[in-house]
Amino acid sequence: MLTAVLVVGIPFGIVARQSGLSPAEIVAMSLFVFAGASQFAMVQLFTDGVAWPVVVATVLLINLRHLLMAADLQRYFARVSVARRLAAAYVLTDEAFAMAIGWFRRGRTELAYYATFAVALFVLWNTATVIGMLIGPSIGEPRRFGVDFAITATFIAIVILSVRRRSDAVVALAAALVASALAYLGASVVAVVTAGALAPLLVLFARDEPDR
Amino acid sequence: MTWLAIAGSALVTYLVRAFAFRVPLPSALPPRVARYLDALPAAIIAALAGPAVLVPNGAPTRGPELAAAIAVIAMVAWRRNLLAGVLAGVASVALLRLVLAA
Repeated sequence: MLTAVLVVGIPFGIVARQSGLSPAEIVAMSLFVFAGASQFAMVQLFTDGVAWPVVVATVLLINLRHLLMAADLQRYFARVSVARRLAAAYVLTDEAFAMAIGWFRRGRTELAYYATFAVALFVLWNTATVIGMLIGPSIGEPRRFGVDFAITATFIAIVILSVRRRSDAVVALAAALVASALAYLGASVVAVVTAGALAPLLVLFARDEPDR
Repeated sequence: MTWLAIAGSALVTYLVRAFAFRVPLPSALPPRVARYLDALPAAIIAALAGPAVLVPNGAPTRGPELAAAIAVIAMVAWRRNLLAGVLAGVASVALLRLVLAA
């Protein structure tokens, strides 16, 4: 899981640098936003020249899933001080959550398990970002080598890895097709993101449960 | 502009994370809300990816992007590995553009 962070973080640094973002902006994204899929989305939206509120709204939508973790986490953090909980929140990621829940369910309640792993992920992600950022400019002619497709390929890979049920695949396909039609008709990125936000309403009609 | 976007994104991301740790929810989220939130990230990301595959730069694809997308899907479904998928996609699109340009 730790090496997975490296192999995603380095491409992030590369594509962010190739998109024309400054090193300071790229480092700030990994230090302060610290959310893989969101950061790739931000690079795409910056390339599209989208207004900042749209970027912020898109990132919010992608990260709303952290609310799902609340119900699972709270019982384990009930006796931890507020200051520590707020610090733990800063390094909450899907990976840290998955690992922590695994430990907690085996009866280990120390916050140190979560903190150590989550901070290691944070350090690795930022290291990988810087490595990618430094080698980015040395890859010449991005179009010829297909590097401009790297963000799109990353998006597709993220979607495929997160599909666990048939309804997830239907939702993702519907979102992609509707968004493409809108883009073809000249609609703005706002419309494209809205299509993505509405597509999951389809799952409310799905019957391929049980799950989780 | 870029800095505002980064600052705003950092803020909303942290607020959601802090909420997850701080605010005691009375009970678990309603199943429908949970199901919606669960499907949301992939849908947003698919919506961003779709146009880049089917209508890159505003015009319908001449093929390379769609073929490369299928290569990514096949590779990730097979290996369950993000980097393998990205490399397959980048290599496919580069090769196909080379062939089409020739």
